Amino acid sequence: MTLRARLHRYGPPVLGVLLFCLAWQLIGAYRLAGMTWPPLTAVLAYLADPAHHQLLGRAAGTTFAAVALGYLTGTGIGLGLALLTRLVRPARAGIDRLVALVHATPAIALAPVFMILMSRETIPVAISALAVTYLIYVAATSGLEATKAAHADLFRTLGARPLTAFWRLELPSALPALASGLKLAVPVSFMGAIVGEWFGASRGLGLLMISAMQNFQIPLLWAAVLLTTLTSLILYGLLGLFEAAVHRRFR
Amino acid sequence: MTQATPDAIRLDSVSKSFRLDDGNSVTALEGIDLGLREGEFVAVLGPSGCGKSTVLRLIAGLESASTGEVRIEGRAPSQLAAAHRLGVAFQDHALLPWLSVAQNIALPYRVAGTKVDNARVDALIELVGLTGFRDARPSQLSGGMRQRASIARALVLDPDVLLLDEPFGALDAVTRRHMNVELQRIWSTRTLTTLLVTHSVDEAIFLADRIIVMTGRPGRILREVTVPFPRPRDPSVLRTPEFHAMVDELTLALEPEEAAL
Ligand SMILES: Nc1ncnc2c1ncn2[C@@H]1O[C@H](COP(=O)(O)OP(=O)(O)OP(=O)(O)O)[C@@H](O)[C@H]1O
Ligand SMILES: [Mg+2]
Repeated sequence: MTLRARLHRYGPPVLGVLLFCLAWQLIGAYRLAGMTWPPLTAVLAYLADPAHHQLLGRAAGTTFAAVALGYLTGTGIGLGLALLTRLVRPARAGIDRLVALVHATPAIALAPVFMILMSRETIPVAISALAVTYLIYVAATSGLEATKAAHADLFRTLGARPLTAFWRLELPSALPALASGLKLAVPVSFMGAIVGEWFGASRGLGLLMISAMQNFQIPLLWAAVLLTTLTSLILYGLLGLFEAAVHRRFR
Repeated sequence: MTQATPDAIRLDSVSKSFRLDDGNSVTALEGIDLGLREGEFVAVLGPSGCGKSTVLRLIAGLESASTGEVRIEGRAPSQLAAAHRLGVAFQDHALLPWLSVAQNIALPYRVAGTKVDNARVDALIELVGLTGFRDARPSQLSGGMRQRASIARALVLDPDVLLLDEPFGALDAVTRRHMNVELQRIWSTRTLTTLLVTHSVDEAIFLADRIIVMTGRPGRILREVTVPFPRPRDPSVLRTPEFHAMVDELTLALEPEEAAL
């Protein structure tokens, strides 16, 4: 890529982020949004201060573990259900409706049910997994339907058995849609875990946000938010690269 | 026509209609009677949309006849595919974008569950003039190169029935002639029942034992012509007056309205 093309491609997003940081800094520095909006540098300084590392580190460890577990569980269940609809085609309509129904029910409304069903510490994982399941299920089922008719014809004339056609054709054809789903599931898994912590978890970034808000620890509140957002964005970006690579190769 | 050998491929009063989304149906083929003897090379000519690809898809077992019957060696076409004895080069090449040229050509081995014969794959790559592109992906190839890769793939398992749907459509005249000569050479070394759909009258006469001319709406067989030139055919046959007379005759048959003037 030439420098010009690079500028064209990465220039606007980088500029956008810089402008965002600048606006944050100015609003905070001049107290344009009141006392609850600190300058960006104050939040960064708070994050950098070793005195806060233990508190933030422990909370982040708990939350990120819940995110990872929710993401993996949701991906596993979503993939499993999608495979089931592929193997047992008549089950498709039923599973579709069930997944849509669960997705249409707000997680907040399900929270009380979770609270009597499971420990407070597993609720973040459960809500995160639930949201990811839906996304991955939709991505995988639509991916499994993305096989081109011409390719399916080819496999029929080659006398492919169903399992062969699945491995060599349907699965590779499904990868682009699946990779997009895996990327989109990242912020969803973070949201699920953070919200899940608001239902009585004893530790975590979500809990830290709530308690910092109630105790008016403004820099702590923003530090927790920034830490969550940055981690989510970085993972989203990495999976975006993965997605781009899959799309280049499999489409 | 000698009836000593039974036809390898038979279409008996076959018609095919497609149901459209709006509830209507379109008749693509009507009253098709066609037989290919074992080892015979038949070319199909006809205007766009007359049902040539539909005939080929019926023989490939990709469509079923609305009425009438399609049999290969007396059995359903799908059985030939199941035995991995069918080679098809599709009009739109149908290469898998995530495989290299060599992997695409080797795909029939993998689908059949047999060991990949790399020497044969390489030989076919050379035959279709793609040496140096064996590791390229289809997206890096031109339309004509993709068609050539798909012809190599159709040939790799050494099939008993070969179906070619306008396989040379995107090739320049020189490459096309070269591919025609190569195809004839392969074809002369073994018994290979072949149906070739083409828009080129020259190509049909140069390659085929028999030529079917179709008309559209609904698709029917208008004429059948037996090609008299002895084999092996040298490209010099293309310059003989007999060849030119036959080209003129068939070109005229393809334009029935003008012929009537
Ligand atoms: N799957 C389908 N659904 C509806 N109509 C179809 C379908 N396939 C073919 N047809 C119709 O059948 C007719 C014949 O189509 P076919 O593809 O066999 O033509 P063709 O002779 O191969 O044309 P070309 O030379 O342009 O490739 C056309 O009118 C087409 O619209
Ligand atoms: Mg066609």
